[in-house]
Amino acid sequence: MAQLFRPGADTIARVVLFALAIAPFAGVALAYGLRVSPYSTEQNLVVDQPVPFSHKHHVGDLGIDCRYCHTSVEKAAFASLPPSSTCMTCHSQIWTNAALLAPVRDSFAHHTPIRWNKVHRVADYVYFDHSIHVAKGVPCSTCHGPVHEMPLMRQTKPMTMQWCLDCHRNPGPNLAPRDKEFDPSWTPAQDPLHDARAYIARYHIHPAHLTDCTVCHR
Amino acid sequence: MSGKRFTLFEAKGRSASAPELPPRGLDRREALAMLSAGMATALSACGKPREQIVPYVEQPEGLTPGLPQRYATALTLGGYGRGVMAIAVDGRPIKIEGSPNHPYSLGSTDAFAEAEILSLYDPARAQAVFKGEEPSSWTALQTALLSRLERLKGRQGAGFTLLTGRIVSPTELRLIAALKMAYPAMAWRRYEPVNDDNARAGARLAFGRPLTVLPKLGQAQAVLCLDADPLGSGPEQIVNGRGFAEARKAGGGFARWYAAEPGWSLTGANADHRLALTPAQVGALARHVAGKLGAPTGGETLPVQAARFADACAADLIAHTGHALVLAGESQSPDIHALAHWMNSRLQAPVSALEPLDLNPDDHLASIAALAADLKTGRVDTLIVLGANPAYDAPLALGLPDAMRKAGFSVHFTAYDNETSAACQWRAPLSHALEGWGDARALDGTASLVQPLIRPLYGTKTVSECVALLAGDAAAASHDITRQTWTDKAGGDLDGFWKRALTDGVIASSAQAATPLPPARLPQMAQAAPPPSLTLCLSPDPSLYDGRYAENAWLQECPKPITSEVWGAAVAISPEDAVRLGLKDADHVRLSAEGRSVIAPVRVTPGQAQGALSAFLGGGRTRAGPIGTGVGQDFGKLRGVGGSRALAVTVEHAPGHGGAPAFQSTRLLEGDARKLSPTIDLATLAGLKSHPLDPVKTPPSMLPAAPVLATDAREPAWGMVIDAAVCIGCNACVVSCQAENNVPVVGPEEIARGRDMHWLRIDAYDVGDPHDPRPAFQPVPCMQCEHAPCEPVCPVEASSHDHEGLNAQVYNRCIGTRFCESNCPYKVRRFNFYGYAEEQAYANLGAESLKAQKNPEVTVRDRGVMEKCTYCVQRISAARKLAEKEDREIGPHEVVTACQSSCPTQAIRFGDLNDPASGLAGLREDPRHYALLGELGTRPRTTYLARLRNPNPALSEAGE
Repeated sequence: MAQLFRPGADTIARVVLFALAIAPFAGVALAYGLRVSPYSTEQNLVVDQPVPFSHKHHVGDLGIDCRYCHTSVEKAAFASLPPSSTCMTCHSQIWTNAALLAPVRDSFAHHTPIRWNKVHRVADYVYFDHSIHVAKGVPCSTCHGPVHEMPLMRQTKPMTMQWCLDCHRNPGPNLAPRDKEFDPSWTPAQDPLHDARAYIARYHIHPAHLTDCTVCHR
Repeated sequence: MSGKRFTLFEAKGRSASAPELPPRGLDRREALAMLSAGMATALSACGKPREQIVPYVEQPEGLTPGLPQRYATALTLGGYGRGVMAIAVDGRPIKIEGSPNHPYSLGSTDAFAEAEILSLYDPARAQAVFKGEEPSSWTALQTALLSRLERLKGRQGAGFTLLTGRIVSPTELRLIAALKMAYPAMAWRRYEPVNDDNARAGARLAFGRPLTVLPKLGQAQAVLCLDADPLGSGPEQIVNGRGFAEARKAGGGFARWYAAEPGWSLTGANADHRLALTPAQVGALARHVAGKLGAPTGGETLPVQAARFADACAADLIAHTGHALVLAGESQSPDIHALAHWMNSRLQAPVSALEPLDLNPDDHLASIAALAADLKTGRVDTLIVLGANPAYDAPLALGLPDAMRKAGFSVHFTAYDNETSAACQWRAPLSHALEGWGDARALDGTASLVQPLIRPLYGTKTVSECVALLAGDAAAASHDITRQTWTDKAGGDLDGFWKRALTDGVIASSAQAATPLPPARLPQMAQAAPPPSLTLCLSPDPSLYDGRYAENAWLQECPKPITSEVWGAAVAISPEDAVRLGLKDADHVRLSAEGRSVIAPVRVTPGQAQGALSAFLGGGRTRAGPIGTGVGQDFGKLRGVGGSRALAVTVEHAPGHGGAPAFQSTRLLEGDARKLSPTIDLATLAGLKSHPLDPVKTPPSMLPAAPVLATDAREPAWGMVIDAAVCIGCNACVVSCQAENNVPVVGPEEIARGRDMHWLRIDAYDVGDPHDPRPAFQPVPCMQCEHAPCEPVCPVEASSHDHEGLNAQVYNRCIGTRFCESNCPYKVRRFNFYGYAEEQAYANLGAESLKAQKNPEVTVRDRGVMEKCTYCVQRISAARKLAEKEDREIGPHEVVTACQSSCPTQAIRFGDLNDPASGLAGLREDPRHYALLGELGTRPRTTYLARLRNPNPALSEAGE
């Protein structure tokens, strides 16, 4: 009677057995990897907008302050997007006929809002508040990256819970002096005397409480 | 699967039969289909929806997106206003709170005011003009109406009838007066089902004119309520509740309350002495007490117990002359009201009298009866019904629905398509109070402006705009109409006056000047008719009022005090009568009076007067909308043409069994009621050692021994102390919590399965003895235990503690094992068995418009998630962030929970246990302090002060 298994069968069986043992772990690892990969978090993904607004031009080149448009960033949870009338303060005077700005003019003329696509998305069960982060010395660039270098807006950080907690557990290294908070080009490297503990004391931050569930979820 | 609906759950219609879980199995094909559908969904549904940000084109001045704005305005109940603060976020009103400056709000609310916010977004609201069942328009209505009125002008308006509810708003009165100038022969009828006809008639008997007499409960030291319910529902509930609480403070003078009533009212439940008597016996008791005060009455045949009660009470009233008060209820005859006035003047009672604000001189019943007579004789050519719903709430004996069809032309201006709309040719939608300008006056005449927080959601007009339309001015806007009213009174500076009135919430010194009370005449006592063997006593529903809130799901699901019934209520019958008639709990009976009858379940109720049945008005609506239609029974239709709220009925068995669903059966705490809700007599309070109610020793615990109280004094340790002595059981906190925390409504079937969702419930214990039952109210939110039994059993740590002592529930982590619910000794955890909030909402509650009501600071919980009271963590968080931004500590009274803000008696106090200024730590040292089930060692942060009772020694010894 002929052999049922060829000489290589043992090897195959071993590989299959090994693969079966590894598969669950590999599956979980793959799922986790996918979950935190830029593919899933949409990190660095440029989102189409009705108007290709350039932060590089307005912030980097012209030097307009963040708060000129994002007016409620120091007051409310929502930093707010500018009403069309804010755009028109300048664009009723300059670039009045630019084709790119047609949606803004239409919005203003017909009183229909511009619908911007959200770039930085936080899950609905997270009650993120811009104002408290600004008050506690977190500069815009910590979460939004070098906005002044972005012709089109993108999300530069993963915005996962892990990423939030990294800072909530150890906020010190991410803080900036008061006068540099709205400077998009500021990085901790510019501050040779950057002392995390001094910042935490100055801004009255209690890192032990920052990981309470109720800080973000309710 | 063609022709077969593929639904996971049975459609949730309302079934008449007892609710059961639908017996439903999957067949093989369905199971395979679902399996493959599930796999396909898992593989394909990874994409997140693309969200958009839609900024304003021009941002309104003063608005910061996401920050709440508060506007002072007023809401009316039965025509009278209570000041409120309406809170809007991004232009959406989301919550009602009290207005501290308003004398009839005092910063608190009642359940009806809280629930108005749901009515605003109710998808069943009237939204367009209809002619019959055909959609029409305001222009068409205006054309038809004005051509009609033009013809009537020739005959001075004879045949033109306007029917309204009670109107005391200065603007609406001004417009109606102007209308009467234009049509001198028009008839203005006015009808409220919960009216004060007997009180007016009583005042006429005593003083010669219908003065309004307002009690000052805060100054009364001895109060006798003759079937009166000052603490019950109505526009005066808040101010009366506050007066009750103020006069019953340990340490100061402590008022003693007596109540004689047929069925349980909130007043009776909170009184020190309560006697169950039929309305006729209450009248006899009143005459007996008056006799003791010197009236030539007496010789009444009172039961022994009642005579002893009356003697002790009369002695107490006389002993407190100057601070003693007698109040008569609306089901008592005008004689008894007049007698109460006479006793009050004898006792120099703390009352104030006002000329009536209601300028319609007729009594309510006389007015509606005149309308019915006019309709039947064909004298009504054009009938305008403004807001009222007489086809439902006027006595059926008047035959109004049919009579109204006889009017040549009829228009119903209404907020809902209801019974009266069906009897009118046209119906036109009215705006909600938060959608238009206006003004309102409180019971004492204090005026406030009503300001809109939102543009009308639909094509609606305010009441004042509708009256202007009748006067031919269709273009008038409520803003201009209201300003015009106040032009004269503003003294030249209308803009300044207007701004001040809007920011203050009241118009300064607008209260009606008190009239010196003329001496009360002793009425001629009519010979009392022999009392019927069974009297049915009707009172306004504590959650639906006269039925006008039947379409409000929050109120339908708001448990009635004491019985905890929701979605309808049974007739209360005394145990003795039940035995005599062979009735058991939830048996159905047919109640008949003068040929009209109602079939309803009975509830055998200890403490109900023998010979008296009690039921609520406001049920059994036939055309209320998807929520309110067919819930409960319409007992009001048994009333005769006189509209009396106490009427003779006969009772017979009817087929059927089963009462209204009730809450508490499934949430009952285990233990002795007197221990769970202890009561202390005022006399023994002084001699108490420090903490008699606290457990002797805490049992051992596996949890860390150190208290979770913050070690760093800068950190708050949140706690709540509820004073059971002043909780009157009014339910304002329950509805307030529901509005603030996006608590869903589950519907009667789910309630019957024990699945209510209220985060805060008011338990009612019977702490009396079998022949003298006495309810004790106990609001139960989450105890926020320091050693929380729910925490160690959660496999995913969805239930965990934070540094400020909050026992947090993290919805996005919860996997729905319900272990925490089983392990909670207080039974405060609620599970979303279905997607109650949206996709599987009851009736029309998943509608798009209702999403706008949701508080954006609180998660809308999904199916399969556990939830519970959070101590309004969103409010704590907001206060903490504000304090940190301003680099200061949170103020002692900065965080106010929703339940606390609504409480009319300020029974609920919340604050930081580490901050002496908050006063919370001091309350915990009170001798009355106790922890609910404290012996379990859970170390609750929510604790209680025991009920206090001030019994009359003369009665205590005799009674027990």
